[in-house]
Amino acid sequence: MSSNSSGSGFTRRGFLSLAGGVAASAVLVACSADGGSGGGSGGGGGNTLKFWNMPWGGTEFNPLDKQITEAWKPSSGSFKATYQEIQWANFTQTFSSAVASNTGPAVSSGGGTQAFLFESQGKIAYADDLFESWKSNGLYDDFLPGLIDAMKVEKGYAAIPYNLDMRVMWMNKTLLEKAGADVPTDWDSYMAAAEKLKSIGVYAFGVGAGAGSFTGSHILTSFMINNGGGLFNADQQPDAVTDRNIEAMEYVLEMVSKGYVDPGTVSYTSDNVQTQWRERLFGMGWDGAGLAANVAGDVAAELEVVSPLAGPHGDKGALYFPNSIMMYTNTPDQKMSEDFLTYYYQNMAPLWKEHTGIGLPPLKSIAETPEFQEDANAVKIINEWQPIASTWGAPGSSSLFLGVTKVDGTPAMDAFTQSIYSGQAKAKDALETLQKALEATA
Amino acid sequence: MTSASFTESMERARRGVGVGGSGKAPRSRRRGIAPGRARTLTLLVLPSIILVLLLNAYPVIYAGVQSLRNGDLIIAGDFIGLKNYTSVLTDSAFWASARFTLIFTLVGVFGSWAVGLGIAMLLRGKVPLGGFFKVLLLLPWVVPTVVSATAWNWLVATPQSPLPALAKALGFGNVLFLADPLLAQIVVCIFKVWISFPFMMMMMSAALASVDNNVYEAARVDGATGWQMFRHMTLPLTARSTYISWILMTIFCVNDFPTVFLLTHGGPVNATQTLVVKAYQTVFLEFRTGPGVAIAFLMTLVLVVVSVLLFKGVQKAAIE
Repeated sequence: MSSNSSGSGFTRRGFLSLAGGVAASAVLVACSADGGSGGGSGGGGGNTLKFWNMPWGGTEFNPLDKQITEAWKPSSGSFKATYQEIQWANFTQTFSSAVASNTGPAVSSGGGTQAFLFESQGKIAYADDLFESWKSNGLYDDFLPGLIDAMKVEKGYAAIPYNLDMRVMWMNKTLLEKAGADVPTDWDSYMAAAEKLKSIGVYAFGVGAGAGSFTGSHILTSFMINNGGGLFNADQQPDAVTDRNIEAMEYVLEMVSKGYVDPGTVSYTSDNVQTQWRERLFGMGWDGAGLAANVAGDVAAELEVVSPLAGPHGDKGALYFPNSIMMYTNTPDQKMSEDFLTYYYQNMAPLWKEHTGIGLPPLKSIAETPEFQEDANAVKIINEWQPIASTWGAPGSSSLFLGVTKVDGTPAMDAFTQSIYSGQAKAKDALETLQKALEATA
Repeated sequence: MTSASFTESMERARRGVGVGGSGKAPRSRRRGIAPGRARTLTLLVLPSIILVLLLNAYPVIYAGVQSLRNGDLIIAGDFIGLKNYTSVLTDSAFWASARFTLIFTLVGVFGSWAVGLGIAMLLRGKVPLGGFFKVLLLLPWVVPTVVSATAWNWLVATPQSPLPALAKALGFGNVLFLADPLLAQIVVCIFKVWISFPFMMMMMSAALASVDNNVYEAARVDGATGWQMFRHMTLPLTARSTYISWILMTIFCVNDFPTVFLLTHGGPVNATQTLVVKAYQTVFLEFRTGPGVAIAFLMTLVLVVVSVLLFKGVQKAAIE
């Protein structure tokens, strides 16, 4: 019997050749660097510039942001921008795998320390030329003080400040009045107000340090900075065990031991924290600029931002996160990346003016708009908290750098934070443990 | 028909030769595949084998190489031999995670098996609306873990949550289920049992359904008690399914990331950090790929050993 004749002239050998060819093609396509659809050389390829942005605000944010992005007309050439929203879930993996495979964007926002991570790996295009060009069009001088400096690394500017995430003190004015407490101005008066709030069954140190809630660690660092301390020295090395830091942590531990801190803090997610504010169980606490909007309802109207406290040595300070936009070396055209960002920064104001929920603006011109000025709490944060705020790099450095990725939401920082809020550790011991952990992962 | 032709016919019939056949016995079929055919079949399956290797073996080999380097998520780094493994194995945090992973797995496997078997036995009899209850009991397994974790968080997270409120009403004071390290470990383990028992219930229901009721009837006639029937009949007769379900659940528990991560993130103070959570945090939060992958490989090694041991139990049960 013939085994290779089918009557149609289509032989089994021919079929196998075809199948093998198709399979080989598929394998080659799968193994190619950009997979075809990635846009050739990554960053967009051809005449396309890829911009990836995060969901920084509510549901209105990304559609409006996309609209602004796609309206870009380059000053020369025929480039166009494509827009991709990247979810926060697993965003590190998303960016890392894309950048490693050269299928990433030409321009993106991302995590607050992302630019410094990629900069250390040679994947970031420095923004020095861009900032130089912005000196002539007014954009450079429009940034709030200290923001651009926070982006400076040894070889240049790793990123461009985009929106500010501040950690500030909030109070429920109604509860303070009910307790007969004065609005605190320094650590001593804060302790006194906390005592009065406790007498009406309300916590004065509302914060969350549970699953996925890193605010607790931010606030501990804020207290260190408020006391003239911080986690890194001038050499950008971890330096957690200092007298000022020990003093700051002892203050927080005193708050814990006196029952001014909700004992559930170590397990609270941000949702749990908002619940406690809604239930009027938090009279004072620490959170981002969007707390009142997130709590919503009747309680939101009772919430006000407190002015920065003075530490026992007269210092003022807090932690903030200048989130940034970065340019990648893997771009179809660096000049086009810069051209796009110039356009974007000149036209991004609606993201704030239309209250899309994005963090605080990096530009004075946006902060001065009537739409932004409507929010008294946001204005207070820009006017009073931003000027005294520092990055993770404090007290040694005003800029961010790769080392801060070791403290931003890491297990070592989580364990330290929970050991303080649970009151199970002594200040010095907890800081020493943190220091060892940071050195081990350095 | 002559006697000769009759004899011949019987002979032909015995040899399986039909009327008009040659009368010779059919050639015995050769075992195996003809060489030409084998080559054809090999060529046919080759593309699939290549794809499977690319999809499965390549990432594993690549990860193995990563575990011997000091790179991060983007840069492969330098070859450092077994240093990542030694640093992981000498880290007390690793052993604390391993200890909790062991507890989590033991409670997860045997807790869910006990609950699943118990409910399967209850539902074996005539229960009104039995089908409805089975569907209802499957819900913890069917519902996405992110939804379950949110629900459990609502149940236990704050002092006003239902379970802490109940505990307070019963005179236990302010019980902080997720803030206390020991209670958080207990909650995570119970959460795992709650999520997993429907799977065990289905496995054991299927195993029990294959047991003939007459066996129980006979035992009852012989005066066997309920416990004796359970101990000497139900358990041995369902042993094979039990071992298989233990193997599967061991793998599910050791590799379970969302249950722990969504509920506690491994806290408080790493009390509920399992090895898979630690591996994730090491790679994606600390950006230390080598040690993270080394943890994952060590987990795999232990899982293979445990699975082989349990599989021997399956084989033993099959023989008995």
